[in-house]
Amino acid sequence: MFIEYTYLVPLIPMLCFLIIGLLGRKTPQKGGYIAIAGALISFIIAALISYEYLTGDTYPNAVTASIEWFSIGDWTMHLGYYVDGLTCMMMLFSSFISTLIFVYSIGYMGEEGPRRTRYYAEVSLFLTGMLGLIVSSNFLELFIFWEVMGLCSYLLIGFWSFRHNDGDAASANAASAAKKAFLVTRLGDVCLMAGLFILLGEFHSLDYTTLFDTANIAAADPDMLTLGMLLVFGGVIGKSAQFPLHDWLPDAMAGPTTVSSLIHAATMVKAGVYLVARGYPLFVQNPEVMLFVGIIGGVTAIFAATMALNNMNIKKVLAFSTVSQLGYMILALGAGGYLVALGMDMGGAEGTALITAGVAGFTAGCFHMMNHAFFKALLFMCSGSVIHAVGTEDMREMGGLHKHMKITSITMLLGSLSIAGFPFFSGFWSKDLVLEIAMEAGHDGTVWFTVLWVLGVITAFMTAFYMFRMWFMTFMGEEGHASQHCHGESPKTMTVPLMILSVFAVASGFLILFGLDGVVSFNVTDAGFVVGGAEAGGVGHYFEHLFTNPYTYLTIVLALLGIGIAYLMYVKKSINPGKFNKDGQSWIYRLFANRWYFPELYNQISWKIGYGVARGVNYVDRQVIDGTVNGLSGAVVGGGDAVSKMQTGHVQDYSSVVLIGVAVLSVVLIAITVILGGM
Amino acid sequence: MIPIEYFLILGAILFAIGAYGVVTKSNAIVVLMCIELMLNAANINFVAFGAFNGDVIGQAFVVMTISVAAAEVAVGIAILLNAYKLRKTNDLDDAELTSMRW
Repeated sequence: MFIEYTYLVPLIPMLCFLIIGLLGRKTPQKGGYIAIAGALISFIIAALISYEYLTGDTYPNAVTASIEWFSIGDWTMHLGYYVDGLTCMMMLFSSFISTLIFVYSIGYMGEEGPRRTRYYAEVSLFLTGMLGLIVSSNFLELFIFWEVMGLCSYLLIGFWSFRHNDGDAASANAASAAKKAFLVTRLGDVCLMAGLFILLGEFHSLDYTTLFDTANIAAADPDMLTLGMLLVFGGVIGKSAQFPLHDWLPDAMAGPTTVSSLIHAATMVKAGVYLVARGYPLFVQNPEVMLFVGIIGGVTAIFAATMALNNMNIKKVLAFSTVSQLGYMILALGAGGYLVALGMDMGGAEGTALITAGVAGFTAGCFHMMNHAFFKALLFMCSGSVIHAVGTEDMREMGGLHKHMKITSITMLLGSLSIAGFPFFSGFWSKDLVLEIAMEAGHDGTVWFTVLWVLGVITAFMTAFYMFRMWFMTFMGEEGHASQHCHGESPKTMTVPLMILSVFAVASGFLILFGLDGVVSFNVTDAGFVVGGAEAGGVGHYFEHLFTNPYTYLTIVLALLGIGIAYLMYVKKSINPGKFNKDGQSWIYRLFANRWYFPELYNQISWKIGYGVARGVNYVDRQVIDGTVNGLSGAVVGGGDAVSKMQTGHVQDYSSVVLIGVAVLSVVLIAITVILGGM
Repeated sequence: MIPIEYFLILGAILFAIGAYGVVTKSNAIVVLMCIELMLNAANINFVAFGAFNGDVIGQAFVVMTISVAAAEVAVGIAILLNAYKLRKTNDLDDAELTSMRW
């Protein structure tokens, strides 16, 4: 009844984009209300679809329908929708969080004047990209929306590239950040496209229904499949800012905070994780691919966390924490997939046990993605509220803001507790589930995952430390330079979304006790692969395990320790942080502050390779292509000049040539006639 | 009946005279007149062959040729007049006229 209208979910924000783009200037709030309405309607439709799907008869099999788009030879491309448990969860939280972000934008972007039209049009298109990607029924459609998001992120990160309130340097910075985001993710997108070509070559189709069919997978060449999925994962590395293509995400903070919130929580970086989850049936065909996925995730998690430890910019700390949390999600998917892959190779009862364990990894990754969406949206919006009030992003100039802005302070505290994994907050459930799966994969699979588990636990400690370092530096301690000029609490349009989100940030973890794990589980059956449909509480025994397992208490203790150290350093001041880093002079401090020299590395690579290639292309263009064209025209002009010397200007010379020519022709003709005709 | 060869010989002589004049004379008017001679040599051949074959196509062609020749002379004279107005000469070997080539 509602599922047939799934196409409306991305279509409505698309219409909003057109309406705002064309007529937004004349509407109140420059199109803001239209954007909110669009996101809200999408959310309502998504909720109706999810309700109908989850209570319907076809559940847990995916509901899909498509129309033929075009065909090349025997390859037919379709346009359609594909609804299953994962789709439902993703479209619900994307559209819900986007709605709140748009409401918040009314307050946050209120002083931007007529340029808000552009902002609201672009965020609507951004939402179209994400929702379209989620409901796509094949990889080509997914790729198109994937690119729509790439474009929108470029436009929105560079929103202040024309004029920035902080001056020209800031606007140049916004422009270069936008360019960086675009180019770095483009590198991943090229890999993704190459991977899709390989899949198309193997399966002659990109439809999920064809790709996720066990018979078709068995018929495909396993080596090509491995290569294809590694390339697809390259796209994920770019989009979800995984090591080594992570460096665009911190720079993307140059955009408005609402855009950061949108990119980090509801859209964009979640698309990469979604792609891994969506392509899971193909990813799990080879354990090595999943091991690679897991290693990338685990390394990213700790790597990004180190850079957040000493950053002074409130938004950049959050950006690094996003990269780190995305690493957790990828780690969970990798570890779970590794176990599933092992289990499918092994077969039998032992294999089934491994698959069951691995499926929990899929659930953990998706679950952490949803929880992260809630608390990261909350944290970004809180930081936006702070920036709005004090006018700076530097935490050294803040401090003591708690008494000025109580709502922001408390909601941000809730978000920080959640991301730090404080017991019973949402981040706690999913993060410990992720670590549990990594442990399991290390136990039943390879020792690599045990190493990754150790990295994950260290990351959990660092997360707690840097989040509370940020919170204490901002809201506690004595008032900084900027805090004294604080405007006070932000307007209602900003604080109400914060309060709503904080409820979810605290409580969304409990959803797993009410059957969410069944909906976003992953089943391997003889007929194929199905998302959802597991018995609710399918990962239940992991939760029992969670409270009997000493390692869980280890992470809790480490998280509390992190919070405690942050308290002692930044509130009590009884530990001087300068003692550890020789007042910012130690090599490790500089290493983190310079982001492990990755920006320099990028620059070197782009200068050496990019500039080299550009020079080569320039040479070919100027010398070979232009040379050919110019040479050809030069030859014609020169030849014409030379031949024109034959024109003497004497009419008689010309007529003589004509006469002699006619005479010669006549003689030849007569001779030919005589010889042939024998006259 | 005059044999057809006589007519052909007359045409050939006229054509040769015209061709000689076109190639050698430097006065543009004379050159134009010589061109007329060549055209009329061809006309004589048309008429002669027409009479020899006993049909009127040759004569019809001559009427066409005469009218085209009249038009051509008109154009030729107009060009010469303008060239004369500009360069004050009708001598084809004069540098004033040969320099009009490009």
